Amino acid sequence: MNSETPARRPALALILAALLAFAPAVAAAHPHVWVTVRSKIGFADGKVVSVTHDWVFDEMYSSFATQGLAKPGELVTRDIFAPLARENAGGLAEIGYFTTLKIGGKTAEFGPVKDGDYWMEERPDHLVTFHVDLRLKTPTAPGQYFSLLVADPEYFIDFEFDDNDAIALDSAPSGCSASIAKPKPLEGQDQQKLTESFFTNLAPGTNFGFKMASRAIVACP
Amino acid sequence: MIRFASLSRAAPALIAALAALAASPAVAQLAQRPFMVGGGEGGGGASGGLTGWLIEMQSQLTRLIAANVHALHSDPAAIWGLIGFGFAYGVFHAAGPGHGKAIIASYMMASDRALKRGIVLAFLAAMLQGTVAVALVGVAALIFNATATEMNAAADWLALASCSGVIAIGLWLTVTKGRALLAALRARFARRAALAAAPVYADAPWRQAADLGAAVAFRAGPPDGAAEAAADDPAACGHAHAPDPAALEADFSWRGAAATVLAAGSRPCSGAILVLVFALAQGLFAAGIGAVFAMSFGVALTTGALAFAAVFAKRVAMRMAAGDDSRIMLAARGVEFLAALLVVAFGLALLFVARSGA
Repeated sequence: MNSETPARRPALALILAALLAFAPAVAAAHPHVWVTVRSKIGFADGKVVSVTHDWVFDEMYSSFATQGLAKPGELVTRDIFAPLARENAGGLAEIGYFTTLKIGGKTAEFGPVKDGDYWMEERPDHLVTFHVDLRLKTPTAPGQYFSLLVADPEYFIDFEFDDNDAIALDSAPSGCSASIAKPKPLEGQDQQKLTESFFTNLAPGTNFGFKMASRAIVACP
Repeated sequence: MIRFASLSRAAPALIAALAALAASPAVAQLAQRPFMVGGGEGGGGASGGLTGWLIEMQSQLTRLIAANVHALHSDPAAIWGLIGFGFAYGVFHAAGPGHGKAIIASYMMASDRALKRGIVLAFLAAMLQGTVAVALVGVAALIFNATATEMNAAADWLALASCSGVIAIGLWLTVTKGRALLAALRARFARRAALAAAPVYADAPWRQAADLGAAVAFRAGPPDGAAEAAADDPAACGHAHAPDPAALEADFSWRGAAATVLAAGSRPCSGAILVLVFALAQGLFAAGIGAVFAMSFGVALTTGALAFAAVFAKRVAMRMAAGDDSRIMLAARGVEFLAALLVVAFGLALLFVARSGA
């Protein structure tokens, strides 16, 4: 009356059911915060020593950040912003400063951010800027080229380089120049990885924020 | 059985321990993420393909919402754009993590819920979520002029309460459904044993139960009539060791449902908080409220669809398991137990995400 074949099918259905329940949890949300990035790469004695970021936030996050901080009609000054700036700067190390500086195939390490290295303020157009000075632990020779990536691996924040003056070079050896490379479209392998992570992980997509990010390439021929 | 009895006794202690862990300030201060927005919501994971498209859609919609809030200053008709884009945002956004819809779907699967009830649960949870966001921003920002840091803290507490609630519901479901699964397993073994012992089984009570009526009782079909009617039919479940469908129907409690709505809906969503604070800064708080409830309707639509998918998947599983009643029972209990475990997993995952401050 009961062959063994149909017995295997319920198992399949169970898996299907479980996946259906799981799928919504792993489907991606989207960034909530948008940042326009301008970065200055500092050199000393021909070596890369620092990356200074100026991040301009979108108007929604800007209203959130400035909420309750200044009297109506007044801009939020660096002083008033100091506690929030400290809070934000404090978490930067943990997330890798949202900054990946790759020189000669190696990822440069940054020293801890101290008070005075950062500030936050509201611009006259009401957008909030976060400024932070990151110093390399070891000054590194630039080699022929190196790359700078500003991205949130979890993609809660969408960092985009400024269209006009994204990268400035400070005291760079003569001949160095910067350019922006847009993200490559995902390759077949990435798509497969994506599909796998979709079904296996609760929180997939670590590093996928990186794939969405533009990369600055600095060439020093 | 002994193990399960002790587990159910251990459950309250476990919940208390989890709550203590979650509430401890040391954990709360763990890894504050820079530039976070309260609600304990993670960012997007993947990109490309369908998910990449979802991300892009939502980013666009966020901009359109902002643009419509601006436009509202000079053009009152922009409110319709605001509501329309808010609704669309909710539809897309509900496909992301942290919105309790997965919890509702799993809960639907773990309990013998009728579809209509599931959709009501989904709707209520989404509306509660919108209400919580409005209340949070309304009270914190409008009345107390709270800062971003203070609103984040308040939203985190709500998210924490929500996660703990989800874990508690998951544990409760796991215990009850684990018991039911054990009962179904025993019934299945008993039937096998009976088969082996009695080669002539024409009049064995389980034979009658092979009638489809047994399956009907466990399909989350029409909410009222059919399931109860089938349950009342003694032929529907002739096996003495199988759980009584009537008892299962009785284990639907509005208390359990209300707890699910509360747990799934008490965490405000980061997107809603941002829209509200932005609208408030523009002096258009009422429009922000309109947009947030439009978002809630969108979320309810997606969650309702997921609840439907959950019920449908279970139905398919049950139909595939068609055969004698002990097997159907086993399949049903298996699905429910798995789903109950999923609820716990979701709760823990949400807690983890909230704690890591994403």
